[in-house]
Amino acid sequence: MNLLFGLSPFLAVGVGALLLMLAEAFGKPNVAPGVETTDAGAGRAGELALGAAVILVIGAVLSVAVWVAGPESLPELTQVAPHLVIDKFTLFFSFTLCVGGALAALLAGGYLPEHGIDRSEFFPLLLLSTVGAMALSAAGDLLTLFVALETMSLGVYSLIGLRRGSPRAAEAALKYFLLGSFAAAIMLFGLALLYGATGHTDLAGIGAAVRSIGSPGSTVSAGKILISLVLVLVGLAFKVSAVPFHQWTPDAYEGAPTPAATYMAVAVKSAAFAVLLRVLLVGFGDERLASWGAGWPPALAVLAVLSMTVANLVAGRQESVKRMLAYSSIAHAGYALVGVVAAMRSPEAVSAVAFYLLAYTVSTAGAFGALILCGSRGAEAVSYEDLAGVGKRHPAAALAFSLFLFSLAGLPPTAGFFGKLYVFRTAIDSGLYTLAILGLVNSVIGAYYYLRVMVYLYMREPAPGAPRAVTMRSGFVATALVAAAIFVLLLGMAPGFTLDMASGAALTAR
Amino acid sequence: MSPAVRAVFELAPYLAALAAGALLPRRSGWAERAALGLTAALALALVRGLWPGAAPAPAPSPALEWPHLLNVIVFLPLVGAAAILFLPRQSPTLLRRFTLGILVLDLVASLFLLRASPERGWHFQFIADWLPSFGIRYHVAIDGISLWLVLLTTFTTPIAAFVSFGSLKTRVKDLCFSFLLLQGGMLGAFVALDLFLFYVFWELMLVPMLLLIGVWGGVERIKAAYKFFLYTMAGSVLMLAAILYLVWSHREVAGYLTFDYLALSRLVLPKTAAWLCFGAFLLAFAIKVPMFPLHTWLPDAHVQAPTGGSILLAAVLLKLGTYGYLRFCMGMFGGPAWGAAATLASVAIFGGILYGALCAWKQDDIKRLVAYSSVAHLGFVMLGLFAGTRAGVEGAILVMINHGIATGALFLLVGVIYDRRHTRMVREFGGLARPMPIYTAVFVLVTMASIGVPGTNGFVGEFMVILGTFTSMTLGSNAQMQGVAAAFGVILAAVYMLSVVQKVFFGPVTNPKNAHLPDLSARETIALAPLVALIFVLGLFPRILTDRMHDSVDAVLERYREGRLAHQELPEHATTARLRDRRGGPLERGYPKSPEEREAEAAKLAAATAPASAPAAQGAPQ
Amino acid sequence: MQSWIPVLVYLAIASSVGVVMLGAARVLRVRARHVPPTRAATYECGEEPAGKAWIRFHPRYYLVALVFVLFDVETVFLAPWALATRALGGYAVVEMVVFVAVLLLGWVYAWRKGALRWQ
Repeated sequence: MNLLFGLSPFLAVGVGALLLMLAEAFGKPNVAPGVETTDAGAGRAGELALGAAVILVIGAVLSVAVWVAGPESLPELTQVAPHLVIDKFTLFFSFTLCVGGALAALLAGGYLPEHGIDRSEFFPLLLLSTVGAMALSAAGDLLTLFVALETMSLGVYSLIGLRRGSPRAAEAALKYFLLGSFAAAIMLFGLALLYGATGHTDLAGIGAAVRSIGSPGSTVSAGKILISLVLVLVGLAFKVSAVPFHQWTPDAYEGAPTPAATYMAVAVKSAAFAVLLRVLLVGFGDERLASWGAGWPPALAVLAVLSMTVANLVAGRQESVKRMLAYSSIAHAGYALVGVVAAMRSPEAVSAVAFYLLAYTVSTAGAFGALILCGSRGAEAVSYEDLAGVGKRHPAAALAFSLFLFSLAGLPPTAGFFGKLYVFRTAIDSGLYTLAILGLVNSVIGAYYYLRVMVYLYMREPAPGAPRAVTMRSGFVATALVAAAIFVLLLGMAPGFTLDMASGAALTAR
Repeated sequence: MSPAVRAVFELAPYLAALAAGALLPRRSGWAERAALGLTAALALALVRGLWPGAAPAPAPSPALEWPHLLNVIVFLPLVGAAAILFLPRQSPTLLRRFTLGILVLDLVASLFLLRASPERGWHFQFIADWLPSFGIRYHVAIDGISLWLVLLTTFTTPIAAFVSFGSLKTRVKDLCFSFLLLQGGMLGAFVALDLFLFYVFWELMLVPMLLLIGVWGGVERIKAAYKFFLYTMAGSVLMLAAILYLVWSHREVAGYLTFDYLALSRLVLPKTAAWLCFGAFLLAFAIKVPMFPLHTWLPDAHVQAPTGGSILLAAVLLKLGTYGYLRFCMGMFGGPAWGAAATLASVAIFGGILYGALCAWKQDDIKRLVAYSSVAHLGFVMLGLFAGTRAGVEGAILVMINHGIATGALFLLVGVIYDRRHTRMVREFGGLARPMPIYTAVFVLVTMASIGVPGTNGFVGEFMVILGTFTSMTLGSNAQMQGVAAAFGVILAAVYMLSVVQKVFFGPVTNPKNAHLPDLSARETIALAPLVALIFVLGLFPRILTDRMHDSVDAVLERYREGRLAHQELPEHATTARLRDRRGGPLERGYPKSPEEREAEAAKLAAATAPASAPAAQGAPQ
Repeated sequence: MQSWIPVLVYLAIASSVGVVMLGAARVLRVRARHVPPTRAATYECGEEPAGKAWIRFHPRYYLVALVFVLFDVETVFLAPWALATRALGGYAVVEMVVFVAVLLLGWVYAWRKGALRWQ
């Protein structure tokens, strides 16, 4: 029973996904009389979104429940280890993932009917992909790691291509699919090599084998370990979309329906960071590899600096807000990578990254949601011009948008500020002054393009004669925005409880 | 003498002032007369109430200090801003009245701060744990320095809002929201003694100011808004990095996390680190002040901002930079601040006072001229701080207050003609004295204050700064020369201000459009009256201010000197930080407790309260 | 290293098959100075070729093929399970029931969504 309780977040979302799938398949299409449809769930996006959101909220609540009960007090959980490692780290991330997924589902509930993408497969796919993401954050074994990674990614591939009539969506889906499978293949090669070199598929065993290098009697080859490390890093850097493995991101986000882009930006990235942390700290946690002189920290530091700088510079030049948000998500991957680098010395950095990703999740989901709210059927808000004057026509949407952008820019008193503060504090604790200062300077550059959105929202009027973006009305989107705004303010002003949760996550990753 | 008769005698001067204020103006409506009379009476009350000899100094008793007063003052506008969101957009009158009500209430509340005794130490202190795991506390308090800045803020914001409501008719809800949020941020930054809290309020001010410039500003408003935001943010993130470094160093030495000013100012950093952190703080404050060569955002921001925004920017926001330098740079980095003072003083004189004045001279836009004159005045403030003498620092604080009043009034006056003519070019005007006599009189008066003519408030501060510069040890052998150069700046101020007054107001009416401009409206008169009253009150009775700041200034200078000595005693190649000795006393009231101390206290408390019926418990402190 | 030799041999044979076939076609082809159009055309047993060889197939073919391959591959897991059931005991039976149930669910879903319908 304890085992079931320990696994309940995963089971709830997984079983819920299957039930939702059946509900979708056996539902009665809700279409105008006379319209032929083969899709059993057509026109039911609202109900399905509500169902998906409820299931994911249950998953989030169960994650917190198991966290409070304490996974270490459930000895039965060792039965599933190391395939699924249920610890506080996992639970914190599964909470984040469920929250991100729920927000994306709510956004989709408003977005899909509004823009005529009546594909009800969206919701089961979203849930199944979330299960994959949660399993990824729990993966302590190379096999589960790969299976979970693919479970997560397959769902996302099809979510992107949901808008079937649009060539841009097809291009986005194909691009992401091809590059994604390529990256997965590279990573798989790395994993295979790792197994070949150490004879273990569980990360703890791999970690022990790596530590034994150099001691008498060890047969583990350092060269193979290094090559596999590089390959695994490349594969995961693709998933977190760090520069220079980011090229797919703007295209994929732009072509995808906005809720799918939201899901990719928040859940896929968070799960990839979770597995990155676990692989690096558990598998490659050896002092010789996790040090500033050699191993992964300098490589990741380079990725972090590149991601922050390049993404921030390029984001300022975008004309589409969606692309700008895509680049912003790349930049945020860079900030989070600073925390990952700091994790080599300070265990607290792991909780900093976890907290950062939660803050990033709610802020980004909110920003995408506000963008959705600013456009209606036939006139999706994509460019800055579409946002001109929204501050006057729909003050609530503009206010919400500004709040999320401030959080992304890292202004107090929002979640994003506290996340940044935490990450950069641990970076300074670990002596990474240059990285911290580069990150902070970058957040000023980043403020420029977030500010630009605000300038259009409040300070510009639409050009005379230009089509005006009409804001949409949707209870789902409004609910998602309110929930995200509460999270953003709560995490910014009273983050005490969440910080405690996050600091629990730190202890067990190593 | 019966009490009734005595009361009449007591009240007679006020009634006379009221009558004079109400009856003197010609042509006015009753509201204007009432407001002017009230201003006159209140000004008298202010002088009599605060005059040091008038009443025996109140005995220092904490009972007079209601601990929640600062919370009320800071959070009243913030709560008001939140409440504004729920008021209907369709009724601008309600919104305006609500905002003004909150701001006036805040002003009244802040007047109670004057009950604080002028002794050194923190008054109205309030401490609550915010994020114990990060060592972040909600810690607010005032001393004799921040007291005046808080009052300046609560005094100018209602005026700025009142003026803006007259000229800005669009998007009133956003305007009210911005004013209240800005007010809360500014007040919070002045009273915060926790560096995290300070940073939060510091950044909180950015957004409403951005909106004020960007939404209601002039033609180039968006560029100016960007410039303002990015300059300020660039400075503040480096300050954040330095704060984090300080916190980390403090934990290395003391073993626990805290963001508290009292604890962090005891830290003696290794020399390189101290210089870098000082640099980061200095950059943040120098951008805000602004000091040459980081001042380029200011003229743009001022010119583009609407009148109300300009008033607040000049009167309060810039003061945050100088206040920050005084409180944080001098308080925490005594060594580097001392070492850099002479160089920075030269920068303040040549880049600020002289260059600012010369730039102002060459402007043909009156508002831009006033903006550059701000650069020059703030140069005086910084010079006084760099001098590091009592006269210099007190003079700097006086200039801060006086510049807030005089320049605020100048921006208001420039706004008046801009509202009428929609231009601010000097060449468009000429001979305004004929159609607008009252306006001209007030303008000339405020100009005198801005130049620093004796008898107006501008004189005392600048005089004390120059005096302090002359006698400064910090500035070394060049102090006298620097004093002379600064005095030269006063002459330049007279040159540029008087030349613009001459061109705009005197001579024949050159432009027919100006021939029939209406004089000051009731709203404008009411807004200007308190400023004009204060120009004289503070010009004639500066002791009102200085008597209450002596002890606090001494405390700041003491801290500054201790910091310098500790920095100098540190071995050249020391790599670890250390802590100075605790001094105790009122200045360290509210010092953050280490976890061990907390545990010990909790244990003591538990021991005292557990056997509630035991007789031993009665003697234990509660 | 010894154990890898068969693999190498296998790789060599596999790659040589392709090379030899393509090479032989090149060596043995008829070299005519003048090629009549009928000879260059696609060989269709004497019929005139209609249309191009690169035509679009209806996605139904793919759909059916995909569904077939999916379930076909999943049944592969049944074989090792059948061998080990006795050793693993009742727990394994339950596990396999769950597994097949999830598979069945997928099949029902595909059916409901019309993946098996040809019209």
